[in-house]
Amino acid sequence: MSEPSIFFSEVNERQGVFNRRAFLMGGLAGGGILALGGRLAQLQLLEFDRYRLMSTENQFNFRLIPPPRGRILDRFGVELASNRPNFRVLLVRDEINDIDATLDALSQLIPITPERRRQLLREISRSPKLVPVAVAEDLTWEEFSRVNVRTPELPGVTADMGEARVYPHGGAFAHVVGYVAKVSDRDVAAAGLNPDPLLHHPGFRIGKQGVEKALDTVLRGKSGAVKTEVDALGREVRKDPEGDIKPIAGKTVVLSLDADVQSRALEVLGENSGACVVMDVQSGDLICMASAPSFDANQFVRGLTSAEYRALSEYERRPLLDKALSGTYPPGSTFKPMTALAALDSGMVNPNETVVCSGQMWFGNRFFHCWKRGGHGSQTMHDAIKNSCDIYFYQTALKIGPDRIARVAEAFGLGQTFDIGISGQKAGLVPSTAWKRRQYKQPWYPGESLSFGIGQGALSANALQLAVMTARLANGHKALNPRLIKSIGGVETPSGAAAADLPFKPEHMDLVRSGMAAVANDTTGTAYRASQLGLGPVLMAGKTGTAQVRVISRAERASGVRSNDSLPWHLRDHALFVAFAPYDAPRYALSIIVQHGGGGAAVAAPMAREIMRVVLLKDAAIRARIESPLPMPEAPVSTTGEVEGEAPPPPSDTLLPDAAPTVSGGPTQ
Amino acid sequence: MTASAITRPGERDRLIVKLAQIDWTFTLVLCLIAATGAAMLYSISGLSWEPWAAKHLVRFGLCLCLMIFLATVDVRIWFISAYPVYGFGLLLLIAVEIMGDVSLGAQRWLDLGFVRLQPSEIMKIGLVLALARFYHGLSAEAARFSWRLVVPVVLIAMPTLLVAHQPDLGTAVLLAATGGAVMVLAGLSLRVVAALAVSVAAAIPPFVMFVLHDYQRNRILTFLNPEADPSGSGYHILQSKIALGSGGLLGKGYGLGSQSQLNFLPEKHTDFIFATLAEEFGFVGCISVLLLYAAAITIALRIASISHSHFGRLGAAGVTATFALYVMINGAMVMGLAPVVGVPMPLLSFGGTVMLTVMIGFGLVQSVRVHRYSEITSGRGTLL
Repeated sequence: MSEPSIFFSEVNERQGVFNRRAFLMGGLAGGGILALGGRLAQLQLLEFDRYRLMSTENQFNFRLIPPPRGRILDRFGVELASNRPNFRVLLVRDEINDIDATLDALSQLIPITPERRRQLLREISRSPKLVPVAVAEDLTWEEFSRVNVRTPELPGVTADMGEARVYPHGGAFAHVVGYVAKVSDRDVAAAGLNPDPLLHHPGFRIGKQGVEKALDTVLRGKSGAVKTEVDALGREVRKDPEGDIKPIAGKTVVLSLDADVQSRALEVLGENSGACVVMDVQSGDLICMASAPSFDANQFVRGLTSAEYRALSEYERRPLLDKALSGTYPPGSTFKPMTALAALDSGMVNPNETVVCSGQMWFGNRFFHCWKRGGHGSQTMHDAIKNSCDIYFYQTALKIGPDRIARVAEAFGLGQTFDIGISGQKAGLVPSTAWKRRQYKQPWYPGESLSFGIGQGALSANALQLAVMTARLANGHKALNPRLIKSIGGVETPSGAAAADLPFKPEHMDLVRSGMAAVANDTTGTAYRASQLGLGPVLMAGKTGTAQVRVISRAERASGVRSNDSLPWHLRDHALFVAFAPYDAPRYALSIIVQHGGGGAAVAAPMAREIMRVVLLKDAAIRARIESPLPMPEAPVSTTGEVEGEAPPPPSDTLLPDAAPTVSGGPTQ
Repeated sequence: MTASAITRPGERDRLIVKLAQIDWTFTLVLCLIAATGAAMLYSISGLSWEPWAAKHLVRFGLCLCLMIFLATVDVRIWFISAYPVYGFGLLLLIAVEIMGDVSLGAQRWLDLGFVRLQPSEIMKIGLVLALARFYHGLSAEAARFSWRLVVPVVLIAMPTLLVAHQPDLGTAVLLAATGGAVMVLAGLSLRVVAALAVSVAAAIPPFVMFVLHDYQRNRILTFLNPEADPSGSGYHILQSKIALGSGGLLGKGYGLGSQSQLNFLPEKHTDFIFATLAEEFGFVGCISVLLLYAAAITIALRIASISHSHFGRLGAAGVTATFALYVMINGAMVMGLAPVVGVPMPLLSFGGTVMLTVMIGFGLVQSVRVHRYSEITSGRGTLL
C-alpha cells in the first residue's frame, strides 16, 4: 500500500482494539467461508454419485407399460381369452394437493357415484403414494376424450388407454381357462422379496385360476417402460425414445380343448350341477373339460361386488368349484368294466359262466339288492355289463377280492392326479386292504368288496379320471395321459400318447368293450334309447352309472323306493355315464357326471350323446364316414333339431341281432 | 492522481478527487457477483432475460449509481444522519407494529418505484450507523465493559424485538448478530462475549420449544432431520442438497441443471440461487464465487481499518459484518447446515430489497474510504 496512512492515523487504544477485532472478524468470516467450501467438497466431490442418482430419479420418470397378456386359444385357434382396449382414468395421490377437489372436477366429466367415491377414497388412502389408482374403467370413447382434454388442468390425473382381459365365451371356460383378477396382498407377498413392479400397476390383473393361474408368468410377458423427463409437478417435459424399453407380449397358449364341444357341453348340462370331460383316445388330448353350473369369468376381471360373490359362493350347486377336477363322486356302475376286467385278468372267472340274479342276495347279516327288483336271471359277464347286473358283480368282487380290482382301477388312472398343467385336481380314492389297514387300522370286511365291485363304498373319482379310464379302455393298449396344454408360444408340449402299455390282455379288454357296446346298442342295454347317435354307421359304446348318496332302508324298500323326483336335491342319486365312439375304431372317450341328477341312463346318457355327436361331427374323418352313402340303408338323419330323449330310429348294425324296438322304461342303471 | 491530493482539505472535496478515491477493485468484485447472479437468472428462466435477469441487472445498475453517489457523501453527513435514520426506521417499525398486519398487510413494504423497501431493511443500515455514532464518543475503556453499554444494548434490542414480533425471525437474528458484531468490534470484553455466547446457547432449546410459532419450530426440526419427510417440509433442503451434490466438480453445464430447470429446486431465483450455480458450475464455480465474497469482505474490512475516524471504522465494519452474515447464513442454509430462514445470497439472489440495503451499506464503506482522512472531532460533525 503506497498510501501514507500511517503518518496521519491517530494511534490510540481504540484503533488498536478495533484492528485486532477486525482481524478476528476477518478470520471468522474466512473460517466460515472455508467451512462452506468444505461442505461443498463433501456434497459435490465425495457424495456426488449419490446425489447424481437422486437427481436422475427426479428428472426422469420411467412409466411402466404393461405388456399385452398372451392369448389363450382352443385347438382350432378360437380365442378363449384375449384382450380388448380399456379406456380408464388413473390418479396419483402424490401429485394431488386436494383429492376432493380433483374428484369433484372429475365427476363433472365422468359419472362417479357417491358410493364409488367413498370406495375410491378408501383405495387411495390404502395404496402407496406413487402408485396410480384407477378412478374409472371401461369408459366410452367420449368420456375418455373429455377427461383426456382436461388432464393438463388436473395434475395427477391421467387418461390411460390400457388393455383388459376378455373371455369371449363367458362362462364356458371359467374353470379350466380360469380368469384374471386384481392383485391381492397375498399375491404380492407370494411374489417374494422383489416383486414384478407390474403387480402394482392399476390395470394389471393376475391369473387366479386354471390356465391363467398356472401359466401366469408365461402369459404375462415382460413390461416395458417409457422414459420421460418430468418437472417437479410431474408434468412431462420431454420424451426420450432412446431410453424406452419395449414391452414383450405374453406367449400365446393353445389348449387341446374345442370351443364348440365345450360350449355344447355347458349347454347340455344346463342348470344341472356336474362335469363333462371328453378325451381323444389316440393322443390323450382333452377336447372338453366343462364344469356346470359355471360363472362369467369377465365379472372377475372387473371385480365382483360382495353381493355377486355371495350369490356365487353360497349357491348350493357350487358354481365356483371345478367339478371336472376337484369334484369326486362314487363312480357307481361306470366302474363295473373295471371289476369285469379284474375278474378276467385274475383268471378266476370264466366270462361265459353264468350267475343267477334273483334281485337280491344274502351276505353277512343283510340283503344286498340288485337295482332290478325281480332280478336278471342267468347272467354271463357280457349280459351283466349290458344289464348292469349288481348281483353278478357282487359275486365276482367277492370271488376275486378288492386288491385285484384296485390294481386294475389304478392302472386305468383312478386314485391319481395327472400332470395337465393346471392345479386343483383331487385324486379321489381307490380302496384296498392295505388302505383299510392304513387308514382305519382295521381288516377289510368282505361286505365292502360287494360295494366296491359296483363302484360304490369308499371308491371315489372325478370326471377327468373317468374319462382317462374310458380312454385307456377304448385305446386298448396304452396308458394314455391327458393333455390340456397343446402348445406354449408355438412350442408343442409332449403328447399324452407317449405312455406305457397297459398290462392286460387285448382279448379281455375286447370282451369288456363289447359289453359296453351292448349297453348302448343292444335294445335291452341299459342305455340303448339314450345312446343312439343317429350318425349312421358311427356308434357309441358306454356304461351307465347311478350312484346312491343315501342308504335305502328295508322299510322303504318294502314300501317302494322313492323316486328321485320326490327327494330333495341333495339326496338324489348322482347320474353318470362313460362312453367312447366310434365303437369299432375308438377315437373319443367321454365321461359325464350329473351331481344329484337321478339315473345315469335317463339323465347322463342323453347328455353324453348330444356332446358326443358334436365331437364326432367335428372330426373330418368320421364325418366323411358318416356321409359316405355306400352302406347306408336309410337317409342320414339331420343332426340338428333332434329332441332330447326322443327315440332315434333303430340302427342297422350287425352287432344287434334282434332289432326289436321294445325299450324298457323306468330307471335303469 | 496521487494519494497526496486527498490529504489536502481543499483538494479532497473536489468531486473528481472523490471519484478517484472510490475503491474500484471492490466495485469490480461487486459487479462480478451481480453479473454472475444475472447469468444464473438468465439460465434458470430457460435462457431468457425475462423475467429476472434483465431486471436484476437494471436494479444493480441503479444501486451501483446510488453507491457511487453515497460514496461522495461526506462521512460527517453520514455521522449526523446516523440517529435520525435509526429513529426513522424505528418509527416505521412501530407503525407497522401498531397498525398490525390487517391494516398494513401488503403495505409493510415501502414502494420506491424501482424497488420496494421494508422498514426492517432500513433498520439494518440505521442500526449500524447509530451504534457507530454512539461508540464514536466512547472511550476504549467504557467500550470494554461499563454501564454505558446499556445504550447499544437498547439500540439493538428495540428493532430486533419489533422485527421478531412481525414475525421475521431471519431479519431479527441478522439485526441482533450485526449489532453484536459492532459491539465486539468496538472492544467489548471477550469474557463478556463468551459468557453471553454460553447463555444464548443454553437459552435456544427452551426458546425453540416454547416461544416460536409452529411453522418456525417445524423448520428447525426439519433442518435437524430433513429425510424424515422428504416431500413435506424437508423437501427444500433435500432438493437443494441434490442440486448441489449432483453438480459435482465441474457442474452439469450452463442451462443444463435439471434440478433448477425442472423446478425441483424451490425459490431457485432467490434464496436457493446458489444451489443453481452449484448444479450448473459445480465445485469449481462455487469456490470461485465464494472467493469473490471473501475478497469483498476482506477489502471492506481493510477499508474500515484505514479510516481515521472511529465512526467510519465501525460503520464500514458493521456493514461488512451484515454482508458476511448474509453469505454465511444463506450458504449454510443452501448446503443443509442451517434451517431455511429466508435469507438470500446478497447480490447473487434476485430481489431488490436486500440488494438496495447492501449497496447503501457499501456506499457507506466507499464513503469511509473516500473520506478516510476526515476527522470527526466531536459528537457533531465539523461540516455543519
